[in-house]
Amino acid sequence: MKKLWIPGAIVALIILLAIAAPILGLADPVRQDIANRLAGPMAGSPLGRDEFGRDVLSRLIWGARTSLGVAFASAIIAGVIGTAFGLIGGWFRGLGEILTVRSMDIILCFPPVLLALLVVTLMGPGAGTLILVLSVLYLPGFARVTYAEVLSARSLDYVEAVRALGAPTWRILFRTVLPNVAGPVLVQLSLAVASAVVLESGLSFLGLGVVPPAPSWGLMIRGARATMEQAPMLLLWPCAALTLTILAMNLLCDGLRDAVDPRTPAGRRRLRLVDRVFPGLVPAPAPRSDAVLEVQNLTVEIATPRGPIRPVQDVSLSVRAGETLAIVGESGSGKSVTATAVMGLLPPVAVPVEGHAWLGGKDVLRLSEPEMRALRGGPMAMVFQDPMSSLNPVHTVGAQVVEAIQAHQKISSAEAWAKAEELFKRVGIADPAKRLRVYPHEMSGGMRQRVMIAMGIANNPKLLICDEPTTALDVTVQAQILDLLNDLKRETGMAMIFITHSLGVVSEIADRVAVMYAGQVVEQGRVEEVFGNPLHPYTRALLAAVPEGEEPPLGIPGIVPPPHNFPVGCRFAPRCRFATAACEAAPPPLEAIRAERQVRCIRWHELTPTEAVA
Amino acid sequence: MRWLLRRIGISLALAWIVATIVFMTLHMVPGDPAEILLSTGGVSPDPAAVAELRERLGLDQPLLDQYGHFLLGLTRGDLGVSLVDEYPVLDEIALRLPRTLELILAGTLIAVVIAIPAGTYAALHRGGLFDRIASGAAALLLAVPVFVVGTVLVLVLAQILRIMPAGGYVPLAQNPWQHLTLLALPSLAIAKGLAAVVFRMTRASVLDALSRDYVRTAHAKGISPTRVLVKHVVRNALTPVLTVLGLHMGTLLGGTVLVEYVFNWPGLSTPLLRAVEARDYPMVVGIVLTISGLFLLINLIMDLLYAALDPRIRTA
Amino acid sequence: MTPTRRAFLTAGAALPFLRGPARAQPADGTLRFGLSAYPPNLQPWVSTGGAAGTVKMLLHRRLISYNAKGELRGELAESWSRDPADGAWVFKLRPNATFQNGEPVTSTDIRWNVEQIGGEKSTAYMRAQFQAVEWIETPDPHTIRFHTRQPVAAFPDWFAGYNMGLIWHRSEAREPVGAGPFRIAAQERGSSITLEAVPNHWQGLPKIRTVNMVVYADENLRAAALQSGDVDMIEYVPWQAMSAVEADPRLKLDATTGPFMDILFNGSKGPFSDPRVRRAVAHAIRREEIVKAAFFGRGAVLEGVPMVQDTPWYDAELAKGWAYDPERSKALLSEAGFANGFQTTLLSTAQYGMHKDTAEVVQQHLAAIGIQCELRLPDWSTRVSQGQRGQYEMAIHGVSADSNDPDGLTPIFDTTLSPSHGRSFALQAPRTVAALAKGRGEFDQAKRIEAYKEFQRAALEEVPLVTLAWRSQGYAMDRKVKGFTNLPGALSTLSGAMLEEAYLG
Repeated sequence: MKKLWIPGAIVALIILLAIAAPILGLADPVRQDIANRLAGPMAGSPLGRDEFGRDVLSRLIWGARTSLGVAFASAIIAGVIGTAFGLIGGWFRGLGEILTVRSMDIILCFPPVLLALLVVTLMGPGAGTLILVLSVLYLPGFARVTYAEVLSARSLDYVEAVRALGAPTWRILFRTVLPNVAGPVLVQLSLAVASAVVLESGLSFLGLGVVPPAPSWGLMIRGARATMEQAPMLLLWPCAALTLTILAMNLLCDGLRDAVDPRTPAGRRRLRLVDRVFPGLVPAPAPRSDAVLEVQNLTVEIATPRGPIRPVQDVSLSVRAGETLAIVGESGSGKSVTATAVMGLLPPVAVPVEGHAWLGGKDVLRLSEPEMRALRGGPMAMVFQDPMSSLNPVHTVGAQVVEAIQAHQKISSAEAWAKAEELFKRVGIADPAKRLRVYPHEMSGGMRQRVMIAMGIANNPKLLICDEPTTALDVTVQAQILDLLNDLKRETGMAMIFITHSLGVVSEIADRVAVMYAGQVVEQGRVEEVFGNPLHPYTRALLAAVPEGEEPPLGIPGIVPPPHNFPVGCRFAPRCRFATAACEAAPPPLEAIRAERQVRCIRWHELTPTEAVA
Repeated sequence: MRWLLRRIGISLALAWIVATIVFMTLHMVPGDPAEILLSTGGVSPDPAAVAELRERLGLDQPLLDQYGHFLLGLTRGDLGVSLVDEYPVLDEIALRLPRTLELILAGTLIAVVIAIPAGTYAALHRGGLFDRIASGAAALLLAVPVFVVGTVLVLVLAQILRIMPAGGYVPLAQNPWQHLTLLALPSLAIAKGLAAVVFRMTRASVLDALSRDYVRTAHAKGISPTRVLVKHVVRNALTPVLTVLGLHMGTLLGGTVLVEYVFNWPGLSTPLLRAVEARDYPMVVGIVLTISGLFLLINLIMDLLYAALDPRIRTA
Repeated sequence: MTPTRRAFLTAGAALPFLRGPARAQPADGTLRFGLSAYPPNLQPWVSTGGAAGTVKMLLHRRLISYNAKGELRGELAESWSRDPADGAWVFKLRPNATFQNGEPVTSTDIRWNVEQIGGEKSTAYMRAQFQAVEWIETPDPHTIRFHTRQPVAAFPDWFAGYNMGLIWHRSEAREPVGAGPFRIAAQERGSSITLEAVPNHWQGLPKIRTVNMVVYADENLRAAALQSGDVDMIEYVPWQAMSAVEADPRLKLDATTGPFMDILFNGSKGPFSDPRVRRAVAHAIRREEIVKAAFFGRGAVLEGVPMVQDTPWYDAELAKGWAYDPERSKALLSEAGFANGFQTTLLSTAQYGMHKDTAEVVQQHLAAIGIQCELRLPDWSTRVSQGQRGQYEMAIHGVSADSNDPDGLTPIFDTTLSPSHGRSFALQAPRTVAALAKGRGEFDQAKRIEAYKEFQRAALEEVPLVTLAWRSQGYAMDRKVKGFTNLPGALSTLSGAMLEEAYLG
């Protein structure tokens, strides 16, 4: 929202100036004073006089009134009618679509200048005609944008639901669909206004615009062009006003687009990879252990306008060869951030500020980007959640797998393709030679995930991180994928980190499990131990709430606190039915009760006496 | 194939509708071709002479007869002759259309070569110095009217420095070097607005592509950032940019008026403007028909290209 | 002083060998000329504007043309006179004149031309005038006698316009064969025309062998093309560029105040049917401001009937008949019953800057005496159409007389002629019209002068139109272009013919 502020203020200021023109005590913008023709700055005329000796400043501000008035009026008219057309066309389809949306193609076929020329010759020039021409010109843009949005909104669940409930059409359109298309239409509106200001000047230059002596920026530019050699400044002022307005409108439009489009949240830059240096950290010796990956006290910090937040704090994990570690937790628990931090794929705003992550004797948190690149996709690979969006739609799946192979193995393309075919066979894709040449959208979800897995194991990784690889798939396919991953792990002896929110999946695939809550590990241990005898109230709640292992833990009241609002003491305390004053007073430590068994709860002894005794 | 035929059919129908609208509107617009021709230079013609010329040009016939005559000619591929000098409309278009296309292509080339890399760079370093400067420059380019830029270019390069001709046209075959020199300024002027649009579009599109999961996948494979950029970011971001580009090229077909005027480039827009001024009906209708036909053709090509670039559309 | 080509011709066609050395010019005799517009067409008799005129005068010969001083001189005609016996105008043709195809120019050809121009099916500019020719005699191949219905004093001037190119009487409709010194070598519709000298012309070769005419519709670019050296010469120098041309040591400017701006009225309705209101308008406008704002000072105030100074028709007193006097305007308005002014409209066009700028200044000054007018600025064609049909109340117009003879003002001042965008609409000015008619038929110089003084007095009172300002009409050229003269006053538009006398030195 911050991005909207400055351009919004500038646009508001310009509009305000234009509206306030009559009360600013300006000179009469049409009163000629030929004696002072083309005069430079003088008393009462800080910007000088134009070719008729009229006050330039006054004409500039009054001109804003005309230029912006025309621009806004035409954009709004086009916006209202165009949106209505798009709504009708998109909702009713059929004849409505032909009449409202397809007919717009006729307007698009017209060269804009010809359209203006014809309408102006027919109706005579003037602001009214100009508004008409410009609204007609912008109509198709609005109709098309709305049409496209309505088409996609039609198929949205909630719209379908409202429809099924038998709500009247107009009500659905205005209450449900319209708010959904408001964003893009708003963006289109600001675009149209900016472009209308420019077109106004062009048409006025051709004599098709505003009728003199009324001032407009286009007319001022037209007049100044003739006297360019005598008085170049006359050209500068209206051009500067035009530029400032366009710039502000563009920024406003960008801001609006960001605010409206959930995909590009303002201020967040994802995946821009530049080498990062962590100052002030002394290299620590690698721990001697048999773990493939050893994460120690990892803390990730994100700088936000409200101060730094730590979505992952003091997380320690390890996974050995041939072992599967599951990280389980609700959305926002920090499990994915932990994995991306290890892969070195954190967005630039997120920085691992503390801790180490050892992989084969190297601290991956402190490697340079080229060194990281050698590891990624090679010794450590990752399989992502949604295979549809994680595969590039414009390349064949084969090409994408080959790309992964060739990134780490210096082999010819033919060999790489052969290897890809082998990989496909191995992940259970039937007819691999043919499937290699297929695009992602032509495959089923399960097949796509097999492709992702093939890509992950392409270079025989020592560590494979799977980030909810089965969430987007239906149940039977899920089981097949889990079996595949299990088989692969057994065959290759690689270590696997499996991120999921599903406890059922954990029990099927994992050897050990780490339960995360609000950026911290709250309990860790072997799966049968943790599930058989949960020590942390959160783990217990999770297990209790999920009989089928499919739904999010409904049984726990409240939500995971957002990172900027973590409680001071135990982060689960506000939702914990066993919480005491002591729980909320200070952060509880992660207590190692024996090898590979840790818990972060000061009352675990009292709550699980059996374990305490043992 | 059926889809293509259907599209072509719709396009032809649209072109016909546009031509009809233009034909009818033109005849409604005040001003009579005979009267205007004989008044050239501000003189007062003898009304009898005007009446005689009207009859000779067939303007005294009922409008529907004239329209029928026009349609009949159209079916034979005959666009008629100019009312002003009996010059065949088709010949005029054949002479001038290639020049307008050349101008548009050259302008587009310049715009693309500058704006796509700049837009990509600005997106990669969003909020950085370059992004700010380039975004400001794009607004400036959009805001300063083409006739101002043109006049300033001519003033500086031709009148003061005398390193460029003030405008005009020399056929490529006659003098290739001079041809290109004369092409430079007007195509720069065309590129001006287009570059601003393409820059903004590329920037937005690359930003969008950057946030996609498949780009993260590409990084996770450990391939070089350049390869990620080229194969996964720019390649995907280009599709919407191309669509916008195609649409704008189509609009430019009839929109190079100011550039042609300011640089004296003898393209198709100037005769269109002149023909409207002279109410030279067959010439206006012929040129509009050509422009809208080409516009539709470009749209068709863009759709095909879009399908070639995005396999998801190919199968749909 | 270099004797002009014309001087040699009149000295005697019998001395052809003398012509050789005088025309021995540099071999690259190509003149690059910046035209303001592409000629709509080059039909010899149809009026298609000044640019077409320039080309047509080089392609064709007229009977008579003007010399650099603006005096009549024979072109195809060797001499002309009025036969006092029957009042017929007698023209003697040059015996050696031939068309470009080698056919001799005979009285039959001339007769055919005049009959075509004045014919039933004619679309010629001079159609109405030549319909006043009652019959034509061709006693021999080199003599032609015209009998007009009424006596016409300025009859020879009729033959001197650029729409009076005479062609071979067996020409194909689409390919008129002229007798001029140039022919079209190449042309590209809308952009350029290249003229080349006719090799076997009956008057020998002109000094310039090729004229390469390129159209620069944008006036700023036209001036820029000259300044950058793309062309050697341009017509219609934009006023704002004139001082830059004068300041450039490489260039020269040849300007004359020929055409003028005026206000036309619709006399059929409303306040402007009252001559007092029209006179109020005439006195309300400070014309210096139009000269400054619309013409960058390149013009002159015009406060009466447009008579060129130093001609016998000019009268210093009458020339100030409409001097700026807003008090008088207000008095006239009250007298006419409009003491509080009124609302009206002013038709002009946005297509031409001078029309628009003039309208803006006029609007301002009329507001000062209480006439509030709204500007109507359609494109030029609509302006023409609305003017013709009287769909206006007041209109701005710019025009040039047909010649420097007062009779050349007839098409502008005679409101009984057919309705036209260039004349006031349905306006009654009987005394003015009568005085014009009298002058036209008068052959006695003193009586003619008196008739035209009466015409001026009548016009000042009846106000068939209000004149505003002379405007400068200029040609600018490289200093190496010599021999070209911008013809004085109203004849400036005929200066293109002087290109055949130009040379590069």
